[in-house]
Amino acid sequence: MDSMNDETRLNDIAKRLGARAADRLDVQATAQKVVERLRAGEQPARRPSWVQPAWLRIAAALVLLVGGVFLVQRVSTNEQDLGHQGVAAHMVADDLAGLTTAQLQEVLRGFDELMDSTVSPEDSTETDYDALDAQQLRTVLRSLEG
Amino acid sequence: MTLPERVGVGATAEPLQDTALIAAWRRGDEQAAAELVGRHARALARFLAASGAPESDLDDLVQDTFIRAFRSVDRFRGQCQFRTWLLTIGGNVLKDFGRRASRRKVMPLDEGVRDNRGDPHDNAVANEAEARLATGLQGLPRMQREVFLLRAQQGHEYEEIAAALGTTPGAARVHYHHAVRRLKAWIQ
Repeated sequence: MDSMNDETRLNDIAKRLGARAADRLDVQATAQKVVERLRAGEQPARRPSWVQPAWLRIAAALVLLVGGVFLVQRVSTNEQDLGHQGVAAHMVADDLAGLTTAQLQEVLRGFDELMDSTVSPEDSTETDYDALDAQQLRTVLRSLEG
Repeated sequence: MTLPERVGVGATAEPLQDTALIAAWRRGDEQAAAELVGRHARALARFLAASGAPESDLDDLVQDTFIRAFRSVDRFRGQCQFRTWLLTIGGNVLKDFGRRASRRKVMPLDEGVRDNRGDPHDNAVANEAEARLATGLQGLPRMQREVFLLRAQQGHEYEEIAAALGTTPGAARVHYHHAVRRLKAWIQ
């Protein structure tokens, strides 16, 4: 049997397939049942609308969008903070270069007073800056910058 | 307004097109829905049975398909015939049914699905071929099975099949030929 005949035979069998079961269907009764179910407002068995694939895709896109915005904000905030720190460090270094020994001692005493107000008494230490020269004072100040 | 009032009760009344019945159903005409069921229920039942639906569940599956179709009729935009669209919905309904009844790995073809009219010997040979084809169809990917049945059983053109299944006529042709090749091998 050639290929075309095979296909024709296949199609003939396919046309017969299910014919008997379909003939046994009571179409009028089926139509009546369908109308009654429609009248009763019966919804077909399906997933709730909020878990339809389209909604899932939209929800996933929103999560990605919100997460992305949050991430970008965090990164840009960190960069700004780092930028401020960089600017502050640069300004302190510039200031130190132009200060005299007396001014450096004054800055360090002010810094100590500031630290004393935040550190517990037992942690605080007396420091004598008068014994230090300008270079040493700058070194101490730079070390305090961290 | 009911269907008989619109078409006029009388022997000369022309049967309404499916599109007119669909429009009537959209306006809430239940008689139009019943008319559509009457027109397409048997074709749908043949398609479902050939796709593997057990005869004991056939009536329910036909009803479910029509309910789903009527509830989502706004999605039908005349891209293909109503019957072709309905059959693709039937395929989805059957797929959901198969998931629910997943205990049955392969749904056996009921005796009633085969056509037993005519000579008993010929029937026996034909039944065997039908049973083999039915089993072969169960082994096909869903797209190939549906394209094959829409083409071979329902007699639709590739353009119509493609529009209903959301593919191209060329792809539908390829699916059909793959199905035929595998089914031939299965039957022989």
